[in-house]
Amino acid sequence: MIELIEKIEGEAKLDFSFEDGKIDFVDIEFMTARNIENILKGKSPLDALVINPRVCGICGHAHLIATVEALEDCYENIEISKKAKIIRELTLTFELIQNHFKWFYLVMRPLFGEKQEVLKATYPTQLMAKAIAVFGGQYPHTSYAIVGGVVCDVTEMDIIKVKHYIEEAIKFFELNVVQADTKDFLVCDNVDKVLKKSGDLPDILKEIKKKKYLHHGKSYDRFIAFGENSYFSKGKSHKTITTHNISMDHVKEYSNPNSLAKNVLYKDKYYEVGPLARAMINKVPLVKDAHRRYGDNIFSRIIARVCEIPQLLNHSKELLEQLDLSEPSYIEPSIDITKINGSGESAVEAARGSLIHKVDIENGVIKNYEIITPTQWNLGNGTKKKLGVSQKAMIGLEDVQTAELVFKTFDVCSVCTTH
Amino acid sequence: MRVLWLSSIACNGNTHSFLNYPYMEQFLNDFEFIYHPVIDSNYSLKEIVTETIACDILLIEGSISDEFKRADVPVVDIITKYAKIVKKIVTVGTCATFGGIFRESDYKDTTGLHFVKEVKIDKFKDLLNKTISLSGCPVHPEVLVNTLYAIKKSVDLQLDNFLRPKDYFAYTVHNGCTRNEYFEYKVDNHKFGELEGCMFYDHGCQAPFTHGSCNKILWNEVNSKTRAGLPCMGCTEPTFPKSNLFGTKKNMGIPQDLPLGVGKRTYLTLAGITKAFTIDRLEKKLFDD
Ligand code: SF4
Ligand code: SF4
Repeated sequence: MIELIEKIEGEAKLDFSFEDGKIDFVDIEFMTARNIENILKGKSPLDALVINPRVCGICGHAHLIATVEALEDCYENIEISKKAKIIRELTLTFELIQNHFKWFYLVMRPLFGEKQEVLKATYPTQLMAKAIAVFGGQYPHTSYAIVGGVVCDVTEMDIIKVKHYIEEAIKFFELNVVQADTKDFLVCDNVDKVLKKSGDLPDILKEIKKKKYLHHGKSYDRFIAFGENSYFSKGKSHKTITTHNISMDHVKEYSNPNSLAKNVLYKDKYYEVGPLARAMINKVPLVKDAHRRYGDNIFSRIIARVCEIPQLLNHSKELLEQLDLSEPSYIEPSIDITKINGSGESAVEAARGSLIHKVDIENGVIKNYEIITPTQWNLGNGTKKKLGVSQKAMIGLEDVQTAELVFKTFDVCSVCTTH
Repeated sequence: MRVLWLSSIACNGNTHSFLNYPYMEQFLNDFEFIYHPVIDSNYSLKEIVTETIACDILLIEGSISDEFKRADVPVVDIITKYAKIVKKIVTVGTCATFGGIFRESDYKDTTGLHFVKEVKIDKFKDLLNKTISLSGCPVHPEVLVNTLYAIKKSVDLQLDNFLRPKDYFAYTVHNGCTRNEYFEYKVDNHKFGELEGCMFYDHGCQAPFTHGSCNKILWNEVNSKTRAGLPCMGCTEPTFPKSNLFGTKKNMGIPQDLPLGVGKRTYLTLAGITKAFTIDRLEKKLFDD
């Protein structure tokens, strides 16, 4: 039984097989591929900063940051000011926040029978877009992070402006998503306390319990994150064991006979990436509590993603404080990138999880470019013997609607998956 | 008014740019999406492609190829079907208008609706008089929304050669940039990461010959690329994306592409005059004396 999944930045086809009234396999097919990696071949390296954000309209900024870091990795030595690093991290953080708000209000809530509240998605996301625009000039699709730093300079007035956008977004969160003081919410380590609150998040979580959905969406309980910054650390976690010792060398892509999206594995195993993975690796108390009670199910996945909103808002305030405006925003690299022969790679945490870019530069042009997106990890199309993460999460469900819900808790994005 | 938002080969950047429109509540009261990539609609994509749902405006996002399908139906067939019944067709973004970035994708013969770069194509020529082009990568939300209102009001919009409304595309992006003084007096001291300087001379700013209103209406109501210090990439133009976007192509020291309507002799004369004086204020940092 084939179901067309829409409104996911494109579309996907899920082909369900049932046995004894239960889903026993799902074939996931993404039908479009634009082949950005090919478009990049032969281009001047810096042009990738303009092209790559166009991989995706909702997480293009993560592609920009991954690109600039991959290009900088081609240098043996390159100096980037702390200020530039902080600004890059800030804008990427704002993109994550806008994504989560959109996912929660445009995708998740309607799946629980609520009317889609577009304005609740657009109001806070516009604040975040403005905050990015203060540094980057516009959102979406700026290319303001360039090899050597960022193109903008900012003044105290800009900082004040950005701070107000953040405060306003926090207020929105406290009024709508979880009606509580964010400061308390951030240190909360007990999901029961959240369930007692009012707000759009507790509403959904209560629904999950009421509808007896708590067993839905379990997968391998195996998580990985490659991106590292002042908030996220890299590592992997399986059940309760976490290690930070991982290497991108073990990441392998495999093409997929049935779909235009490639599967990606770490040491030959599927891993889940994204907010739940990050929270498990970073040991976020509230998410750990959800996971301890319910495992890697939809409840944990939803609470993890929404929880990132106040965490990141709060963290971005701290980052703003750390900005030293007297530092340079940009330090011209001593060697022009077109004079470089070399390879570079980068990993950043995008909204949906780890995003990896790899580039080879030869004679001043891009010889090869490789992009591994978060959704390739989560939405890989495995076989019956070896299921992908979201496939496994759908096995055993009794109907297609619930399966679609489970699928979408991974925050599906078709354009990124296939790029 | 009923609007169909059809995505073709795209990154969905226009979809998300549109979500930045500040007066969304008003807009959603005045228009109904029969389909939109992320906003809920009364019809599914399946219904849109298999039936013909009443509709007033067709929005196309993304470049077009015969090979590309939505819900198993070639996107060209969906366009042809709805083009017949709608009052206006709007190409949303540079891909849908000129082919854009995804002109280079793996799909066969990828184009905009009426143009491949500057070249007019015949495929949909009977739709030419129904089409308005809104280029930009992405399109500016206000440009899109106000054009839809103009259609609703039956305003007779003046369009340029590429069918773009002059209200937004008669200007150059250079208009309103905070770096204008450095341009005017030809102070070529721009360095990245600074508030000062103009990117036209060395860093590839295409704004003086790019049609658009970025610096007039600003992005996200707060800024623009060039104000922030990023060269204009010329994303509203048929040639987008050009190559070597962070550098200015020059012939014997003179920028290859000159400001719109300015001849080489005029440019050289002006440059000659400005060489004769220095403006101290523009040689220094804005803030420190
Ligand atoms: S930076 Fe670009 S837009 Fe700004 S003044 Fe110079 S040429 Fe014009
Ligand atoms: S400034 Fe130039 S590149 Fe940027 S959005 Fe405007 S037209 Fe496009």
